[in-house]
Amino acid sequence: MEKKNIIQLKINEERCTGCLICKLWCSYTHYKMFIPSKANLEIKNKYGLKPQIIFLDTCTNCGQCAQHCLYGALTIKEAVN
Amino acid sequence: MEWRGYTGKIINVNLDKNKINLSKQNYNDIKKFGGGLGINIKLAADLFEPNIDPLSQKNYIIVGAGPLVGTITPGSSRTVGTSKFPATGAFAYSCGSMSFGFNLKLAGYDNIIISGKAEKPIYLLIWDDHIEICDASTIWGKNIIKTHDILSKKYESCGTIAIGQAGENLVYHSLALIDRVSTFGRGGLGAIMGSKNLKAIVAKGTNSISIAHPKEFTKIYNRLFDRIKNYPHKESWHSLGMLRSLPIGMLFKAAGQKQKAKQCSERVYLNQLKRRRIACPSCPMGDKDILNLEQSDSTNLIHYATSIINPFLMFTDLNGLNYNHEAILAHDMCNKYGLDYMMVAALLDYCTKLFKNGILTKENSGIEWNTDITTLVHIIELITYKTDFGEILSEGINKLIEFYKGTSEKLPNVKGLDVIFDPRLLHLGTMEFEQIVNPKGSHVASGGSPTYIGTGSSIEKFKSHFNRMGIPSFAFENIFTPPLPEMVINVGCLTRYAEDWYTILTSLGLCARAQINRFYGLESVTKLYNAITGFNTTSEDLRIAAERTWNLLKLMNMKENFSRKDDIFPKAWFNPLKFGNKYFKLLDFFGKTIITPEIANKLLDDYYDERGWDKITGNPTKAKINELELNSFI
Repeated sequence: MEKKNIIQLKINEERCTGCLICKLWCSYTHYKMFIPSKANLEIKNKYGLKPQIIFLDTCTNCGQCAQHCLYGALTIKEAVN
Repeated sequence: MEWRGYTGKIINVNLDKNKINLSKQNYNDIKKFGGGLGINIKLAADLFEPNIDPLSQKNYIIVGAGPLVGTITPGSSRTVGTSKFPATGAFAYSCGSMSFGFNLKLAGYDNIIISGKAEKPIYLLIWDDHIEICDASTIWGKNIIKTHDILSKKYESCGTIAIGQAGENLVYHSLALIDRVSTFGRGGLGAIMGSKNLKAIVAKGTNSISIAHPKEFTKIYNRLFDRIKNYPHKESWHSLGMLRSLPIGMLFKAAGQKQKAKQCSERVYLNQLKRRRIACPSCPMGDKDILNLEQSDSTNLIHYATSIINPFLMFTDLNGLNYNHEAILAHDMCNKYGLDYMMVAALLDYCTKLFKNGILTKENSGIEWNTDITTLVHIIELITYKTDFGEILSEGINKLIEFYKGTSEKLPNVKGLDVIFDPRLLHLGTMEFEQIVNPKGSHVASGGSPTYIGTGSSIEKFKSHFNRMGIPSFAFENIFTPPLPEMVINVGCLTRYAEDWYTILTSLGLCARAQINRFYGLESVTKLYNAITGFNTTSEDLRIAAERTWNLLKLMNMKENFSRKDDIFPKAWFNPLKFGNKYFKLLDFFGKTIITPEIANKLLDDYYDERGWDKITGNPTKAKINELELNSFI
């Protein structure tokens, strides 16, 4: 039986710019359209002094958001079986 | 029809009648002009009467976001505003970024057309299907930062276009800010909104943007993503932002101003000023800065800047400023009130020169003119509230020059907008030349790319860059035939194609910054456009749509009585500029040939020729109008 990867993400909110690429890619991955309101993560205070990256319960742990973050706010720490 | 990329819907807001209705996007217009800037100009050409007062109820504000906005396409967040601008009297456009266009598209709309004037202060709320004209009495009188903060607290994750006190008081050169950080509407959009009692527009979108061919889109996107991810300067760009593109410290150093060079250095920016970098939706090269300024009273000023170079440019323009924090403080005031910091700096510099010549005195102006921080802060207040001499300054350059005849040489401007980039410091590239011919007046967003690649590049590299932008190869002969052979490139001819390329980007919704547009070419944006919209548009279709858009913009300004007489190189450019302890002459792009008035005129001739326009009037010929099927607009 194939085991699902468990991906651990490293979050560095200091590096988040509020570009929303993570949310856009998340919604595109799961719905094949751009619907950031249905993304599985939320960026609070994105243009403020301290942004917060919050993963929702709906997150499937696919790691796609981290693979597409270009600023280093989300990175893949490890993927284990 | 089922739209992809586009939403197909336009919001019409009549403030005279307090009414809102929706109309459908016209497919044929979209095919002929494109979205974003293209459709904005077409919609305007259908609506505008010539020679109206820009601050009257007859003026319109048209806001649009192109077909790529709302998708993940890198750097696709541009918002375009079109209107008749009070600072120059030109019919023109302005661009901003951040999240307004993104939210507008996700709410389900491509454009907003606002007409008339509200009876009392209002703001326009667009929240998906809910569109409402709301009472703004509690935010009228507040600055832009406070206005944005109140609205974004009420409508979480929204995008805002807001004006400050300068716009409310109808200062001719006031502007708006998007999301309190991105400038929007140099030339007086702030005053136009103020004249309509429109304090802000709020967009909040929770719907979706679907695309026509996801597989094709994913393929193109992944390729783009890999190139951006592996871009060797990505990290330094993320760290320094616009300071990497325009190292102002080095400019000061070259001019022998060590102290100012240090104040604008990378080290000071990174260690003392930078608090955070923010980016527009979908942007992999964020350029907006949140700065933290420690003040003498131990409090901190948090300053939101379109980029760090904006306050640094103010520092460059005004000799009397001694410390970078003075420029940041003044820039922060301009942003809060909704003033154009470049215009304010130009007005102060000019008045100080008139003061030194005895034309302005303490008695006749109430001010002892100096380019220091005290005077700067004072005139920002006077202009914003139109008090004392501020009333004259609030009407901008054209009014001042009319008032003090024969002094225009002291205030380099084009059509009433101050020069942004002085070619005596940077040489005459397309960005500098375009300031002369842009219908709006001195405006640089349409002229950049062709000469970004640097004077050290080979002719082959220039050609490859021109191919990327979609410049047809038959144009190369003219582009490489300058007035004098040693100039190598004919900037006049080339500017025509720079304008076409930037019109394409602006119509699609893509960013004009070199750090974004370097990843795109005409061929790749055509593929993206087709994958997103499902159209079968060719690159040539996009290029012609851009040319048609620019010609229509020009025709509208022809009706406003603009002609070649207004496309004038400022006289001051032909005299050396003293910067620091050095003098700089007006030189060609490669810095080898002095540009004389005769060469400048020849470059203008060549620009009009390349456009297919009349060299005497500087306007489109009948043949060009026929070719572009614009006959119904004359």
